Amino acid sequence: MATVTTEGTVGLGLRRVSASKSPDQSIKQADQLAILVDISSCIGCKACEAGCSQWHDLKPSLNVGQGMFFGYQSGPGLAPNLFMYMRFQEHETPNGLVWAITKYQCMHCADPGCLKACPSPGAIIQYANGIVDFDHSKCIGCKFCLSGCPFDVPRYDANNKPWKCNFCIDRVSAGLEPMCVKTCPTNALHFGTKEEMLIRANKLLQGLKKRGFEKASIYDPPGVGGTGYIYLLPHGDKPEMYGLPKEASISPLVSLWKGPVKLIGSIVLWGTLLGAFLQLILFGPIKVGKKHKKEG
Amino acid sequence: MEDVRNLEEVEIERFSAFDRFVHWLTAIPFVYLFLSGLGMYSPKFAWLLPFLGGKEFSAWLHKWAGVVFAVGVFLMFLRWARDFVLDSDDMKWLSNVKHYIKGEEEKLPEAGKYNAGQKLFGWIVFLGGALFLITGIVMWFPESFPANIVRLSILLHEIAFIVVGAGFIVHVYMGTVGVPGSLSSMITGKVSALWAMSHHPKWFREVMRR
Repeated sequence: MATVTTEGTVGLGLRRVSASKSPDQSIKQADQLAILVDISSCIGCKACEAGCSQWHDLKPSLNVGQGMFFGYQSGPGLAPNLFMYMRFQEHETPNGLVWAITKYQCMHCADPGCLKACPSPGAIIQYANGIVDFDHSKCIGCKFCLSGCPFDVPRYDANNKPWKCNFCIDRVSAGLEPMCVKTCPTNALHFGTKEEMLIRANKLLQGLKKRGFEKASIYDPPGVGGTGYIYLLPHGDKPEMYGLPKEASISPLVSLWKGPVKLIGSIVLWGTLLGAFLQLILFGPIKVGKKHKKEG
Repeated sequence: MEDVRNLEEVEIERFSAFDRFVHWLTAIPFVYLFLSGLGMYSPKFAWLLPFLGGKEFSAWLHKWAGVVFAVGVFLMFLRWARDFVLDSDDMKWLSNVKHYIKGEEEKLPEAGKYNAGQKLFGWIVFLGGALFLITGIVMWFPESFPANIVRLSILLHEIAFIVVGAGFIVHVYMGTVGVPGSLSSMITGKVSALWAMSHHPKWFREVMRR
């Protein structure tokens, strides 16, 4: 904890810090923030994508004239200089063709896998309001955050530093809504506390169901403790249609290496050191000539 | 008693110049890998990284030190794999290792040039080195492999670290304090005849026959 300097007594409180003890949660209180993505109202205009790149001063490559075709998408996926993108996927259903358009970016998990996997104290932080962010000055460039992430989000620059959506923490801290929400022309994006967003999502869900989308649902995966981005999916029984994992959770392999294996490692390595020391003080070094002296 | 003193003065070559070169080619990168790996493995040891050149630098050099280490282990494998084949005497030796720990080597089957413990450590290094290399490459380029393969690699890299790390602690202890005369054998290449006779009697007789 001693190494963490990002936000101390000023600014937003912290909830979790990578490879460090969690800060005391009783000091600062903050509402959980969330963005609700209402897929049913999204027209795929990509204004959020443009707004995101503009606010964060990003210039993602346009992928024009490279012989690559990504349909309506701006590119194949996230990039270090593309924090969010619109994913376009076509699916055939009994009721005809469905064009699944999904805003994709860091989900801001309540239990972030990246933060769990990160070995460098303070390199990944979760603010008390739930926003997950990176501190590049403390990052060692090991890319473990990619393994921790259930959504395949972090992307690395030439110095192996990860980049992703930071929920426009600078705007949010100043009382503004995130840029994508600000830009959205159809109110497909809603910003507020998680509690409010869930209430709003439920209202919209009822409307969708009345319109015949019986399997519509709210995507707020419990495997990662819920997310800061929640989605209203018209075809909620098949989140894969939208490129979202059905059961999002931190891989048990990650939990294994951060938990039991670390404990076993401590026992084995310290035990070996202790064993060597005990051999030394109980029996002493294995010297030459002992046998011969005894015999002779 | 006089015999003993004479034997102490006679020197026998145990490690050739190539042996010593390969040993240190592997050992020096390993010390760096062990310490920087420890700093990345456990947040409790993150303070080690600034001493190894900085956190980003040590994470970067860890990979290249790993490449040198892998070359060293491969050369060691070519040099020693045949010598390290464990026979039935070695199995007896390993199951009675408590006598060795107590300094009662005479109660164990006589060792050749390498005793069973050394052979076992050799195999730990060979197999651990291969595992480190394969999983290390996957961890170096995580974007080029399926996510679960990368996660599994990190897990296996850590398990290899625990096993090889424990072997390394024993190896360093025995090579310096635990068995006097071992460290100088890896520096000068020579041991005293007495050392050879008491620790590796079978090898000693072979050398004498020549």
